[in-house]
Amino acid sequence: MTVRLRGGLATAVLLVVVLASLFPLYWSVVVASHDNADVAGRVPPLLPGGELPGHVREVFAAVDFLAALRNSAVVAVTVTAANVLLSTAAGFAFAHLRFRGRDALFAVVVASAAVPVQLGVVPLFVLVGELGWYGRLEAVVVPGLVSAFSVFWMRQACREAVPAALVDAARVDGCSLVRVYRHVVLPALRPHATVLAMLTFVASWNDFFWPLVVLDPNEAPTVQVALSRLAGGYYTDYPLVLTGAVLGTLPVVVLFAVVARGVVGGIMRGAVTG
Amino acid sequence: MAVLLARLDRRVTPYLLVAPFFVLFGAFGLYPAARTAWMSLYDWDLLDGPVAFTGWANYAALFADPGFYRALANTASIFVAATVPQLLCALGVAALLDRPLRGSAVWRAVVLLPNVVPVVAVALVFAQLFGRDQGLVNWVLSGFGADPVDWRAHAWSAHLGVAVMVAWRWTGYNALLYLAAMRAVPRELHEAAELDGASRWRAFRSVTLPSIRPTLLFTAVVATIGGFQLFTEPTLFGGADGGADRQFQTLVMYLYEAGFERFDAGYAAAVSWVLFALCAVLALVNAALLRRAVRGG
Amino acid sequence: MRRRSLAWLPVVLALTATACGGAGGELRITVATFGEFGYEPLFAEYERLNPGIDVVGRVTDFESHHKGLITALAAGRGAADVVAVEEQYMPRVRRSKDKVADLAAFGAGGLHDRWAPWKWQQGVADDGSVIGLGTDMGGLAMCYRRDLFQRAGLPTDRDEVAALWPTWERYAEVADRFAEHVADARFADSAGTIYTAVLNQAEENYFAKADDSFIGDTNPNVRRAFEIAGRIGAKGQTARVTTFTPDWNAAINQGSFATITCPAWMLTQIEEIGGAAGAGRWDVTTVPGGGGNWGGSYLVVPAQGAHQREAYRLAEWLTAPEQQRRLFVDSGILPSQPAVYRDPAVLGHTNPYFADAPVGRLFAASSDTVRPNYRGLRDADVRPVFGRALGRVENGQRTVGQAWAEAVDEARRIVD
Repeated sequence: MTVRLRGGLATAVLLVVVLASLFPLYWSVVVASHDNADVAGRVPPLLPGGELPGHVREVFAAVDFLAALRNSAVVAVTVTAANVLLSTAAGFAFAHLRFRGRDALFAVVVASAAVPVQLGVVPLFVLVGELGWYGRLEAVVVPGLVSAFSVFWMRQACREAVPAALVDAARVDGCSLVRVYRHVVLPALRPHATVLAMLTFVASWNDFFWPLVVLDPNEAPTVQVALSRLAGGYYTDYPLVLTGAVLGTLPVVVLFAVVARGVVGGIMRGAVTG
Repeated sequence: MAVLLARLDRRVTPYLLVAPFFVLFGAFGLYPAARTAWMSLYDWDLLDGPVAFTGWANYAALFADPGFYRALANTASIFVAATVPQLLCALGVAALLDRPLRGSAVWRAVVLLPNVVPVVAVALVFAQLFGRDQGLVNWVLSGFGADPVDWRAHAWSAHLGVAVMVAWRWTGYNALLYLAAMRAVPRELHEAAELDGASRWRAFRSVTLPSIRPTLLFTAVVATIGGFQLFTEPTLFGGADGGADRQFQTLVMYLYEAGFERFDAGYAAAVSWVLFALCAVLALVNAALLRRAVRGG
Repeated sequence: MRRRSLAWLPVVLALTATACGGAGGELRITVATFGEFGYEPLFAEYERLNPGIDVVGRVTDFESHHKGLITALAAGRGAADVVAVEEQYMPRVRRSKDKVADLAAFGAGGLHDRWAPWKWQQGVADDGSVIGLGTDMGGLAMCYRRDLFQRAGLPTDRDEVAALWPTWERYAEVADRFAEHVADARFADSAGTIYTAVLNQAEENYFAKADDSFIGDTNPNVRRAFEIAGRIGAKGQTARVTTFTPDWNAAINQGSFATITCPAWMLTQIEEIGGAAGAGRWDVTTVPGGGGNWGGSYLVVPAQGAHQREAYRLAEWLTAPEQQRRLFVDSGILPSQPAVYRDPAVLGHTNPYFADAPVGRLFAASSDTVRPNYRGLRDADVRPVFGRALGRVENGQRTVGQAWAEAVDEARRIVD
């Protein structure tokens, strides 16, 4: 990747940031490709070793990785798409429409983001069981379909990217709200929606504790749940666990690289040039 | 007829648009939260269920416990140390990414990586960095002639270590949020600034910053809520109990200890409601500021 | 997108439709374990011996497994038919014994002479109901570095080393001798592991066996364990690493400490972390005070299960002597049944990495001397308090006396 740039200093700073971001991932690969003794040595290894293929084989022997990958993809894609669609709708309403109780309702959204999830887990678990979703992907997908963060973010986005004047003009022309939403709001929100999609996808992909509790590790595990069986009885075999971690992260990184190059770039350019 | 439809549209559609959130939140957020509120009035064992109705006793015990105030102070201290530099860095990174770059989309994806990397990898990397005897940070310090620091043993150093970890995980994330906001700034404004011969720094200060102020405040609200619910990073940094003196035990770690280690679900429920009240107040204060800023900006 | 999201629904439905009964009308029994129990080949054999039964194993990591189990028990659904529980969680399960089946109802009462008495007792509730069947155990020995002992001018032969420390007080004296001669390594890994080993050799710890009242402040056993471990820590003779963290791994690999109380299952770990460079440097001998146990598990049958009798039959078979023997031979999992660990094949077992130490004999002797150690209902609440206090001593923030006073205060507040 050759990057020619004006402003050498800015590029240098950016490079440092990027290296700092990439380093842990690189380090994971390094650890995954050594054995336990190398990793605990006086001089930690800085270059990848030769153990990776063996560790990958071990991971695949222990875990039905492809099935887990499929489940994770289904969950993350569904949750991401639903979040983007539902939160744009709600965000648009909160930002540009006047209706009774709007501010109070929005305060509820903000406050709901502050509910600590840690202890709600047992009642939530009981509820999911009563719905008959225990062990099924719905248990992970449905509670995550739309989050306070997304609504909050999209309301903000609507305020910034969609001038109220534009909405009002369309309304004066007699467009229905749905049409305004589709033809005015959605196109303007693309950059924000892309970012939200990325963030939601990552969060959903990496979610661990809740899926672990409600999914059956044999029937329909997500990647993170499946990988949890790699941690040993009383101690952590770091190289093996990190091999799993790398395998679990790789799909997201590849997806980002592909999506980033094509879709995001296009959307951002489109958004900028109008 | 058309008029009636239009009026219906104006009256009802907004509610339809926000309904999905409230339905889902009601079922999967509010219901567990309400159950938790009810639990907090009982001596409630996580496994055995309700033992006895105790009214406000859990809350009374909570406000009488020095451990609670210590956790509160730790949380606030780590929050300040982590948030301020982190948001400033994110702004800088966003500004850099906003310039014309080749392969810019890839750069953008890369700064989000710290948030994608599985926590076990993060834990290992930071254990290496902040190791007492063979950590990279201490090695650099000793190069400057300083004594090695036992990072996990003291409050100040543990807070600093956790803050670095938080900042590292979330800077790129916030930078992306800022970048999206910058991209939404109408081009004409930039062009006007360029015609006026404004330097890049001037343009950033007088065009970009005011336009993204709402997003700045938005991230401040989210960082506040996230900061007060901090759990993952300190646990990874130095273990679930938050140090020998509990010098880096945060509020959620304190909640966790009550609920999942002592199985005192009633007490943990009380902690989570106090935590919720705290976050909600801070968030609403922030939201009020946000609204003012939007009107003002 | 929409089409895709609906496309997987039938798949999920098909999966969950078969989740209750196995294929072809078989009865499915799920077994949840953590880490490595070595059960997979046994499941296959059990299915062969019992047509119509389909055994499915679920493996997760230690933390997630127990947190998930507690959530499932609290919610009354979602637990596997047979669940492994590590010994530190057993007091908690005993306290909520209505959440798990009383295995005596299925005839477990007659099996008690299979296990070492202390092992059996840990799986029995106050009212005599049997809530768990023992799997493996963690007989305690002391691992030490021959090379570091040599540098310190101490004997390296394991019998001579054992003679150095018949008691923990003598162990502390050896620590002083070691510190005089070796500056770049510590004598022990942490005060916490010493404390735990000393404390667990006493019959009573924090709570009285008779009435479960708190005696942590007055029980001389607790005080003694705290003093011994605290003094070693205060002198800076511990490496101050927490077990199983990356720091601890590094300390083992780099020879930062010379001794560690090690149960059977830790040997594999030390070998993996030490690598080829550590071969022959380690040895194993008896722990001061005679013996002890650290770790090991039980199989319990949650009361929410639909097939408790079948689940019990499987658990009983998995923990029977012949299966325990097989697990030891195939996977090195230490049996908790005297008849099995006195088997010549087990007794004669040596470990080449640890200078051919007779680990079979050492761990068997150690478990024979384990006395049942009474853990009160609130044991798990106060135990960490004393561990953290020792951490403050090791950090040099408190004297032993100050830390003791603080720990007692905090423990009293918790139990009141």
